[in-house]
Amino acid sequence: MTVLVLTCEEDVTADLVMVHLHAAGVPVVRIDPADLTGGVALSGEYVHGAFRGHLAAGGRLVSVSGLRSIWVRRPGAPANRAPQPSAWLTEEASQALYGMLRGSGARWMNHPDAARRARHKPWQLRLAQRSGLPVPATLITTFPQAAREFSRRFPDLVVKPVSGAHPQDPPRAVPTSRVAPDTDFAAVAFGPTLLQRRIAKRADIRLTVVGDRMLAARMATAPDADPAEVDVRFAAPAQPWHPAEVPPRIAEAVRTYLREAELAYGAFDFAEDGDGTWWFLECNQSGQFGFVEADTGQPIARTIAEWLALPAAPEREGLVNGSDSTVA
Amino acid sequence: MQPFALNYARPAAQLELTTPYSYDSGLQLNVLADGRVAAHDLALLRELGTTTSTAGSKTHFDD
Repeated sequence: MTVLVLTCEEDVTADLVMVHLHAAGVPVVRIDPADLTGGVALSGEYVHGAFRGHLAAGGRLVSVSGLRSIWVRRPGAPANRAPQPSAWLTEEASQALYGMLRGSGARWMNHPDAARRARHKPWQLRLAQRSGLPVPATLITTFPQAAREFSRRFPDLVVKPVSGAHPQDPPRAVPTSRVAPDTDFAAVAFGPTLLQRRIAKRADIRLTVVGDRMLAARMATAPDADPAEVDVRFAAPAQPWHPAEVPPRIAEAVRTYLREAELAYGAFDFAEDGDGTWWFLECNQSGQFGFVEADTGQPIARTIAEWLALPAAPEREGLVNGSDSTVA
Repeated sequence: MQPFALNYARPAAQLELTTPYSYDSGLQLNVLADGRVAAHDLALLRELGTTTSTAGSKTHFDD
């Protein structure tokens, strides 16, 4: 049984897992769907009530029914590098590839349906609440007046993108940023705006969950940190990540979250306040992990490899632990 | 008419740095010029920041 890794060639983070799979002697095929019709080929036959599908890449041929797991890491858009790419061809290639894979009995990390849903931050916030995770007061609105009233109730706010996406024309980044108390909220009318009570944090927490395994890392806020710089991704990396223990109540809530989200992998971001409370910020369903492993030495890549190497799930189980055996 | 959140935008970091490794389709891994597997050099990957959570990626939403 083979592990299928869907990712781009330059994804060196995937390599961290691949080397463990290689060392364990687990067959693995890595393809980038962007190479479909070029370096990647597929075929599926539905005849006499049976399905037989194959993928080929780099001289390797794998049967869809012979897949034990599928890791969706950083795949390109299907057929994006075809000789004559088009939106139509991408949709055709996407339906063919992912449609076939959905009919396999492989376990997914993460299933495309679960992944797509899990990217919605408003959905994340509600699920986190229901799961018992502390969530900072948050408003998502296009009403300037609602934003003004929210800022009166919670004078210390941050703003961040609802989607987590960043504008590309021209390329810009929108970090989580503090909002000044006297800010004019009129422009809230021009786009959904996510405002959130700022957590005065003493540390950032990155909790990487692989199946049932939780690997938490903590980065203390530097004593001389600029209070205006709230987004750790943009701050100077003055502090290293260290392994951390997960409070039992948080662990239980995170398990509930992932079960409800039908995710086999999630990278949670928390802000730890002065009382030690972990405030949920978001869960990245395919979040990076190499930077944590490099600092902490935690075996995240090996744990992912071990999860991927488990046998395929029996037919007709849930999405997290295996199959989406219902053919879409 | 600019959405509120874009008042806080800044130019995206230039992430398209030249990496000292390239993909080997036989190994299905990225290798350094001397043939070593890049993933075995965590210190290098950390220095390059290629496994780091970074805002502003063009290729994905998930940091």
